[in-house]
Amino acid sequence: MLKQILRDPEMLIGIVILSVLVLVAVFGPLLWRADPVRVDLLNSLAPPSAAHPMGTDDVGRDVLARFMWGAQVSVGVALAVTLVGTLIGGLLGLLAGLVGGWVDLVLSRIMDAILAFPPLILAMAVAIGLGAGTMSAMIGVVLAAIPWYHRLLRGEVMRLRGMMYVESARALGASNLRLIRLHILPQTLSTVLIQASSVFSFSIMTMAALGFVGLGIQPPVPEWGAMITEGLTYSLTGQWWLGVFPGLGIFALAVAGNMIADRLRDIYDPRSGVGA
Amino acid sequence: MLRFLSERLLSAALTVIGASAIAFVILRALPTDPARLIAGPFASEAVLNEVRTQMGLNKPVIIQYFDYITNFFRGDWGFSYGAGKPVLPLIVDRLPTSGELALFAFVAAFVAAVLLTVLVSYSRSRGLDGVLRALSFVSVGIPPFWISLLLLMLFFERLGWFPGPTGRGPVPAELVTGFFTIDHLLAGDPGKALTALWHLTLPGIALALGPFGYLVRLLRANLLDVVHEPFVTVLQAKGVRPVGVHFRHILPNAFLPTLTAGGLILAQLLGGSVLVEQIFTWPGIGTLVIDGITRQDYAVVQSFILLSAFIYIVVNLIVDLLYGWIDPRVRRS
Repeated sequence: MLKQILRDPEMLIGIVILSVLVLVAVFGPLLWRADPVRVDLLNSLAPPSAAHPMGTDDVGRDVLARFMWGAQVSVGVALAVTLVGTLIGGLLGLLAGLVGGWVDLVLSRIMDAILAFPPLILAMAVAIGLGAGTMSAMIGVVLAAIPWYHRLLRGEVMRLRGMMYVESARALGASNLRLIRLHILPQTLSTVLIQASSVFSFSIMTMAALGFVGLGIQPPVPEWGAMITEGLTYSLTGQWWLGVFPGLGIFALAVAGNMIADRLRDIYDPRSGVGA
Repeated sequence: MLRFLSERLLSAALTVIGASAIAFVILRALPTDPARLIAGPFASEAVLNEVRTQMGLNKPVIIQYFDYITNFFRGDWGFSYGAGKPVLPLIVDRLPTSGELALFAFVAAFVAAVLLTVLVSYSRSRGLDGVLRALSFVSVGIPPFWISLLLLMLFFERLGWFPGPTGRGPVPAELVTGFFTIDHLLAGDPGKALTALWHLTLPGIALALGPFGYLVRLLRANLLDVVHEPFVTVLQAKGVRPVGVHFRHILPNAFLPTLTAGGLILAQLLGGSVLVEQIFTWPGIGTLVIDGITRQDYAVVQSFILLSAFIYIVVNLIVDLLYGWIDPRVRRS
């Protein structure tokens, strides 16, 4: 597994980008001690320099510091969303695949209904319904991601349930719980991992989009999407550094997540091409 | 065929019911006061009470849901206090504006994706294939609202090749289709049609990138699958020329999923160009919705949310039916 990853340039690029940004998120704020919310009006809209490597924004806040704290916010939120989405969506998929019958029917109907909404619009709706803020935006993104896991895992479990080795284990008297724990769950791990990487990318993009329209993480917390909104005003008057850097962060994380997902899929399941 | 048709129709109807229930729960039953959402943050208690009665918020929840869904289909989409108008005409008026942009982006993405992928696959060059894959990753991962900003900074501010974020350009003398490019052509003014096309280009590209990358990945994977099918080997063994094998036999067999995805992407574009429209001040539904969010005038936003799900379900149904019509295997399963 490890050898396969090291021999695969795309996988390697994805992992390197991801690690670098995670390192920036974790250690950046410790090394670059500038305050991300300190207003310094005399120094507003300063271009990149040694004192402010990414320049300052319209109220003189250091963009590099905001970028690093923004990385922390984005990565943290995306990880939380991915984790919760995987748990809920995965469990629902397992349940539907194992129990079948009307439980499966009802669940599938609900998931179809959720899938009918464009993901960003659904997340927006939840953020409006619950009131704009970090928590409601996260719930919206999780809700949009759950049906993907459900659909994937349901199919996986149904396929595995019919496999000879699972039926043999059942014939030998293995309980349902034992079947799941030892024979089905480990086999679905790769599917879950692939989907989780895609959802990580999706979460980064969607949280930023929600921040961009003011429905996500609220100011003054530095958030990449909201930073782009602030940069928009100055993008056509020459102050490019406000909007370009946070977007670069979103872009890099999203591409890294998708690349890893894609390569994992090729490694584990060479027959299938694309996913969600 | 009749059984297939009724099955799909029933399924679509169930999804409509489910989706509207979800929208209803999210927007009506959550702790936020729905009347406050519609009337706006500065509405007086009297107005709020009026809105509450109007929306039937004092009735039982089941009845409220029933009213909600019947009102949607009757065209009673509520009143926007921000615009001082009913919601339905507000949205319908802007449909062609958003439609022109979505359609432009869709055609650009679809044509570019199919052309590039098929040519690269035909060339069998590993280098070109690598470039195409990289391109698809980049275009899927790039946030549309960020690329809009970059495009504007480069092609408008620095180079001045394209117009700035000023909407659709000169209005045609007579609005026939509502598509500026076509209306200018109908009025016999190809120069202005070109200007309209120029205004479409940057927002169109910003919207097209994501779908483009997705379609490339999908078609490429399907082409790779079909290339290894036994019938391809047979054709080659029989001495059919590579061009014939590729375009007459491999492509048609690999194309169906792309077509399906194409339909759904168009549906999403119609409802999903929200952020890009806002940046280019494109006077479409997206801008209306974002304005609604920032001004906390949610009547428009709520209708839009249900409408986008509805469009998606209808397009999905059409694609399903077409699929069943083309491929008898789908019909029988």
